[in-house]
Amino acid sequence: MTEQEIQQKGYANPDALVSTQWVAEHLGDTDNVRIVESDEDVLLYDIGHIPNSVKVDWVEDLNDPLMRDYLDPEHFANLMAELGISPETTVIFYGDKNNWWATYALWVFGLFGHDNVKVMDGGRVKWEAEGREMTQEVPSFARTDYPVPQRDDSRIRAFKEDVDRHLEARGQMVDVRSPGEYRGELLHMPDYPQEGALRGGHIPGAANVPWARAVREDATFKSADELKEIYEGEVGLSQGDDVIAYCRIGERSSHTWFVLKYLLGYEGVRNYDGSWTEWGNLVRAPIER
Amino acid sequence: MEAKPGALERKKSGADLLVEHSRNPRHKHEEDVPEDADVAMPGGSPECGGSVVIYLKGDADGNVEWLSWTGQGDTISMGATSIVIERILNEGLSMQEILELDYEEFVDSLGREVIGSRTRHATLGLSTIKGAVRQYQRAGRSGGRAAV
Repeated sequence: MTEQEIQQKGYANPDALVSTQWVAEHLGDTDNVRIVESDEDVLLYDIGHIPNSVKVDWVEDLNDPLMRDYLDPEHFANLMAELGISPETTVIFYGDKNNWWATYALWVFGLFGHDNVKVMDGGRVKWEAEGREMTQEVPSFARTDYPVPQRDDSRIRAFKEDVDRHLEARGQMVDVRSPGEYRGELLHMPDYPQEGALRGGHIPGAANVPWARAVREDATFKSADELKEIYEGEVGLSQGDDVIAYCRIGERSSHTWFVLKYLLGYEGVRNYDGSWTEWGNLVRAPIER
Repeated sequence: MEAKPGALERKKSGADLLVEHSRNPRHKHEEDVPEDADVAMPGGSPECGGSVVIYLKGDADGNVEWLSWTGQGDTISMGATSIVIERILNEGLSMQEILELDYEEFVDSLGREVIGSRTRHATLGLSTIKGAVRQYQRAGRSGGRAAV
């Protein structure tokens, strides 16, 4: 796939994606481009990765180690400095599971205003399927002087209070979990009740669109028309809507957030990262099944 | 963020073992699963780290006759499941000894440097094996087959 083919998919912001070919042609452009791998399977990078790519671990690097929140601006600036990223660096994310964690990392970067970000369409699966070069060599880049940014959660993140207001206003919500979770049949993983919720179901009025419906079998994103068929044809969203997406902890919904915001051009979409592990445990939170 | 050379080496050897087991899993069924297991115990989530099904067969004395598994998931969860089953069978642990296996010691043996905060992934197999043993023991007391 080339940039022309991405253009042909008709996205509102085609520049939010790059092709595997583009990445292959920019492996040496380390002054301007930083390729970041972010996976669910945390050992995949160690097994092999795109040359000159660095690893961002969504748990260890992007989360506050104590409080349920993301890293603070000082730690973000330090992480960027260590990865050799400056505010001007174009960051290309890729990863496993249809770029699920890549979009999550991209969303967290967005909290700090690092918006010069793109996703490699097809992710790790496509790069490997095309037989492109992989390496175990971990690159080292000169430390940058990344200024401590302002973190602005309000643009792209929804908190519980935002969801309450959204619910009162009968705003659009997308629950991107599996149908079983949406219907309240699954509360937690066997043997791990502490990671589940006390109640099952979904936030009243939320539509159910499992996140992976946005991708094709080769892990590339569906075209704009195909995505509109799902999110607008089936769910009834439209571009001017304020939309909140959620899942269990906000990672799967960051993928849908990326699709709606960048590929379909929805300006008013936010990710509710508290998601079901918050809502399903809240006393008197309204629930539908 | 800076690891000492020793820690780096430990991380690499721990990662290598998990990767090797995840690529060449022991006692794992890739296609046909056993129909004569006393217990078939599912665990985990395919959406989060991985899922396994543990198959347990007890012998006439109530010991482990065989133990096998199937599953899909990330390198840590699949590798650690293979490792713990191989250890249980190689050491001939009894069901009680399986229940007494310590999660923290198991994670230590895999390497804290490589597991990090993914302890749930690392103990998916072990916790599901314990669940299978408990199910086997409950069914034994009631005299029925325990497949779930």
